Amino acid sequence: MKPNRRKVLFIPLALMLVLLIIGTAAEASHGPGIETETASPIEEHASILRASASTEAPLPPEQDPCMHCHLQGEIADMFVPLARWMIFGFTGVVFAFGLYRSGNVWITRKKWKPLWLQVTDWMDKRYQIVDPIRKILSKPVEMFSTRWWYCLGGITFTLFIIQGITGTLLAFYYKPTPEEAYASIQFIETQVRFGASIRAIHHWSANAMVVMVVAHLLRVFITGAFKPPRELNWISGVILFIVTLGFGFTGYLLPWDQRAFWATTVGTEIAGGIPWIGDLSLVFMRGGWGVGAVTLSRFYAVHILILPIIIIAFLAVHFLMVRRQGIARPL
Amino acid sequence: MTENTEEKETIPFYPDHVTTEFRVTIAIIVGAIIIGALALFWPVGLEAPADPMDTPAHTQPEWYFLFLFQILKYVPKTTGVLIPFVAIAVLILWPFFDRKADTHQARRNRIILASVAMLIIIILTVLGAYT
Repeated sequence: MKPNRRKVLFIPLALMLVLLIIGTAAEASHGPGIETETASPIEEHASILRASASTEAPLPPEQDPCMHCHLQGEIADMFVPLARWMIFGFTGVVFAFGLYRSGNVWITRKKWKPLWLQVTDWMDKRYQIVDPIRKILSKPVEMFSTRWWYCLGGITFTLFIIQGITGTLLAFYYKPTPEEAYASIQFIETQVRFGASIRAIHHWSANAMVVMVVAHLLRVFITGAFKPPRELNWISGVILFIVTLGFGFTGYLLPWDQRAFWATTVGTEIAGGIPWIGDLSLVFMRGGWGVGAVTLSRFYAVHILILPIIIIAFLAVHFLMVRRQGIARPL
Repeated sequence: MTENTEEKETIPFYPDHVTTEFRVTIAIIVGAIIIGALALFWPVGLEAPADPMDTPAHTQPEWYFLFLFQILKYVPKTTGVLIPFVAIAVLILWPFFDRKADTHQARRNRIILASVAMLIIIILTVLGAYT
């Protein structure tokens, strides 16, 4: 860019500054603001919510002020300006892009290069990534590995991604304490928009993930893909299988209903039967002799922090080894 | 004819294989959306809130741990608890003992072994669910 062209940039900047000053001055001359007597609908709802926070159970749907409804536009004064600015903004971006493109072709007198090509060129000039990516993408896939039973591992991974997304959404509303866990799940099921859907997807995709992990393990076992030189990949797969079961075990307690509570009681009791270290492992898992508040926060931490870190690390190792060694050729 | 098929032993990862994988991913996402839509009418739901004082008549773990739970009814507790650890150890150590090049005989044996193991697990799970 030539220096005299760069100076042109200062014109809109100066214009904006002038507009800002005029706007601020106009606001200041208006006095310290005209306070309306009635509180805004948002504040009104917030006060109802604060009042209802002391009661334990969530309000029935028809009484609930439903803070998230703002996002859905039930209070029109939030949604309409947003939609208006999105439409205006999008039109403006398209218009500005057209101006830039025409101006660029006129000034440089060169054929216009698609925007994504410009971006890849810009990146490639700095980081030289196009060749490695092309190499990765151009790796030939052997026909035998396009049979359907070779995609079971990939399906498991896709389900894991779905679990990560829906689990994060659930964590926005879930409260990991014995007093509030049950009520927060009730809130997700009845009050949060599409909360029941998100919870159902998380629930059923967790079950599907266990099924798919076992199916993938059986496929690898039967086709003999575990044989040397792929022993370590097999071991990382077994660890991923155990971690998946760990996700199921810790996640099952979180709703804190009768089924969850007694399933965990039974499950940790089984761990208590391990010779020599039984009591130790039982207390370690429960955080005490009984299943209680500590158990819940412990399981929650394992479910949303420790196991995800482990599974992501082992998935990376698993995939890198598959990439390096290729898919095992069956008989 | 034979040589012609030999030439076609690979397909490019991009775009051919990526397209297939993309379709499978879309199918899974559509399935998830269908589950989410159905959940608006049949949610996962909750049982009664947890009550440590009130032991329900049937306490069960998740369905994928039911077979371990069922084993405990037939064998002493210590043995039953050790079974999953032994199974995991066998799984981990398997490739270090099964090192020979694969044969059709060996693969058939593995299929039989896997089927029998899965059958036992399924029977134990069903027994655990309905007793």
